Amino acid sequence: MPRLEETFAALRAQGRAGLVTYVTAGDPDLDRSAQVILALDRAGADVLEVGVPFSDPVADGPVIERAAERARAAGGTLATTLDLVARVRPAVRAPIVLFTYVNPVLAMGEGRFAARARAAGADAVLALDLPLEEAGLFRRTMASAGLDLVFLLSPTTTDERIARAADLGSGFLYAISRLGVTGARDAVPPAARALVERIRRRTSLPVALGFGLSRPDHVRQVGRFADAAVVGSALVSVIAEAAASPELIPRVEQFVRRLREPGDGRTEAP
Amino acid sequence: MFVKICGITRLEDALLSADLGASAVGFVFAPDSPRAIAPEQARAIVEHLPACVSAIGVFVDAPVGQVREIAAFAGLSAVQLHGRETPADAASAGLRVVKAVPATREALDGLGAWPVSVTLLADAMDGARRGGTGRAADWAVAREMARCRPLLLAGGLTPDTVAQAIREVRPAGVDVSSGVELAPGIKDAAALRRFFEAVGRESSEGLPAFGRRDPDERGYFGAYGGRFVPETLVAPVEQLEQAYLEARRDPAFATELSALFAGYVGRPTPLSEASRLSAAFGGARVFLKREDLTHTGAHKINNALGQALLARRMGKTRVIAETGAGQHGVAAATACALLGLRCEVYMGAEDMRRQAPNVARMRWLGATVRRVDGGSRTLKDAINEAMRDWVARVDDTYYLLGSALGPHPYPLMVREFQSVIGAEARRQVLAQAGRLPDAVVACVGGGSNAIGIFDGFLDDAGVRLVGVEAGGVALDPGRHAARFAAGSPGVLQGTRTYILQDADGNIEPTHSVSAGMDYAAVGPEHAWLRESGRTEYRLASDQEARAAFEELARLEGILPALESAHAVAGARRVAREAGPGGVVIVNLSGRGDKDMDTMGEGLTDAAS
Repeated sequence: MPRLEETFAALRAQGRAGLVTYVTAGDPDLDRSAQVILALDRAGADVLEVGVPFSDPVADGPVIERAAERARAAGGTLATTLDLVARVRPAVRAPIVLFTYVNPVLAMGEGRFAARARAAGADAVLALDLPLEEAGLFRRTMASAGLDLVFLLSPTTTDERIARAADLGSGFLYAISRLGVTGARDAVPPAARALVERIRRRTSLPVALGFGLSRPDHVRQVGRFADAAVVGSALVSVIAEAAASPELIPRVEQFVRRLREPGDGRTEAP
Repeated sequence: MFVKICGITRLEDALLSADLGASAVGFVFAPDSPRAIAPEQARAIVEHLPACVSAIGVFVDAPVGQVREIAAFAGLSAVQLHGRETPADAASAGLRVVKAVPATREALDGLGAWPVSVTLLADAMDGARRGGTGRAADWAVAREMARCRPLLLAGGLTPDTVAQAIREVRPAGVDVSSGVELAPGIKDAAALRRFFEAVGRESSEGLPAFGRRDPDERGYFGAYGGRFVPETLVAPVEQLEQAYLEARRDPAFATELSALFAGYVGRPTPLSEASRLSAAFGGARVFLKREDLTHTGAHKINNALGQALLARRMGKTRVIAETGAGQHGVAAATACALLGLRCEVYMGAEDMRRQAPNVARMRWLGATVRRVDGGSRTLKDAINEAMRDWVARVDDTYYLLGSALGPHPYPLMVREFQSVIGAEARRQVLAQAGRLPDAVVACVGGGSNAIGIFDGFLDDAGVRLVGVEAGGVALDPGRHAARFAAGSPGVLQGTRTYILQDADGNIEPTHSVSAGMDYAAVGPEHAWLRESGRTEYRLASDQEARAAFEELARLEGILPALESAHAVAGARRVAREAGPGGVVIVNLSGRGDKDMDTMGEGLTDAAS
């Protein structure tokens, strides 16, 4: 059974919502990025999104944009991202989703990318600027390499497109909680739940909700209606703040453990 | 010019009209007209019309319910009310309305009562109906009407009279029926052809060439184009496409834009023969298409007005734009001021420094200039920020993209708004040089001025279409912006095209002395035209552009924008290749006032 399917099946069996974490590969550099990914896995992240550093991350806010700049300054590319995945894979339980803009993949060649990603042990690909209409051939290439293709769904996505994404996508669907780019926010908008419910009516694929989630209470709140919550920018900020510190890895681990704590009213972050 | 062929009863007449360039065909649903057609027959014809040709139903004092029913059944895009309907009737129709009014003083005085959403058609009686002298008098009144409102002119027009009618009335469009017929309802192919030729020769207020060359339904020109946007933007971009396709079918949209081109932008812009420059180049006669003489000083205003009208039509209250050289930002700010829209312009910090006068202009025009410090702090980064803004505010915000770039429908839309340049230039060169040019030369940043002028000559196989890219200081990474010379296909900012990228698919930094050329991608249609062999691209270096700037200033008394100076530089060789007796058109896309600081920094020996 593919790792993503297995993970979400296990989460359902446990009656628990999952935690998906995002970090940019190679931030702040490749060695520490590898350690960060291992720490995320140790701390109990259920799915690991690994971002490919790109020069023009148009769907990302400043936090992830800066992370891509740090990673690129340290030599990070799509190729080093795949090397990084290969390096951590043997020690990591969680499925790994490559989170990328489409141009680096096109530059490598879709077939070559798929083969290398699979060989590295990646489980799925999410291409931020590759909407359904452009994804036909891409999906077949990924599928023939055994990679799931994850689609983003937004509050602006029509029901008809949700159904098509459910047809073409596999692993899970990624629902965007709000209009806008990535970046931590203070609250989960009410529209997020409505979107997840719209998606649920059209597919049995697991639904992860992300964009703007930053705190344990967000994760718990989302866990009540989605299969998983995605935390990205808030985690990337932890890495940015501790990048120069020997405490980087413990802090990342602690941040993720807190995200996963069951709510008892005392762990609400400010 | 908007041309409507009315009184259609046969499919072949409708298709020929469409083929010749009609914007609309009309069906008469007044039962006692000799050209009356049954709704079923009209519907059968409408089904075969190209999407860019509107079907308009003509009614005389018919009940509103019946008008609506027939319009829906036959697939009409608008209805023309030809009886004693009142402004209230027109407003209540719930359809796009063309209202016929007589070309009389009385009707002129009452013009203000018609809602602006209603397109007015002046029915000027021809001489035969008036008994000899009526026409001239009617045309004088129609002229006054055309000053107040975008106007369609009808009434006994023929292939022989339409040119004079256009000259005297200056309407936004013309409507003809009996003047191109063999018998009522039966059109005369030869007369139709002569009519369109006469209109083409005479229409002084150019309209964009809507719907002539659409990409495929996914927005591809060959292998280039498409729509590579984050999911949140898919629905807004689709809505934009629908709104645009609908707008360009609507005569009111076309006539309003056409009126703004004539009355606000100052179109048509002249085609100036540059005799001293021609002599210095030592080859062909060089003509300059003077987009520098438009209001705001660059071709960007053509597109900015078209899109701002679309924004208003879509009910958006806030417009965002990106700008490199600042000309598009100024044009967007201008169009928004004119139409009462809020405007925010993203501009790279580096470009704000080198185009400071345009920053001030935008601010005076009421726009907010948002400084972009990310990446290379130039045009590409400004587009990234504008897209991020749009993703967050798709509900109330219209993204007014300035070049023939980005996701579909932008490359199409921008080209069609800019196509007025090529349409005018072609007509003008035929009139002034008596022949088509050997070559048309334009600078290519994103490529909007080039695609706009090329559009007019694409079907003229003998005319070379030459784009000039920024050669910068050298063809090393980061020192130029020559996408065709040094780039490869990839996806940037929503479109698949030639881009400057490294082996890992990251976008390379660019350089050009001119901010408007300093960009890592080129419009997808250029990539396609180049691949098909129809267009060719060359380089002009920073140095050559500066030299061309000086040369044009001294020989012709024209300070070109540094972007346009690249085209002038490129034309030097093209003019030699064409040789004496040849004709070359250079698109002078903008004026150079904004570049005084840049030029001042590096005065060459010759200029000191």
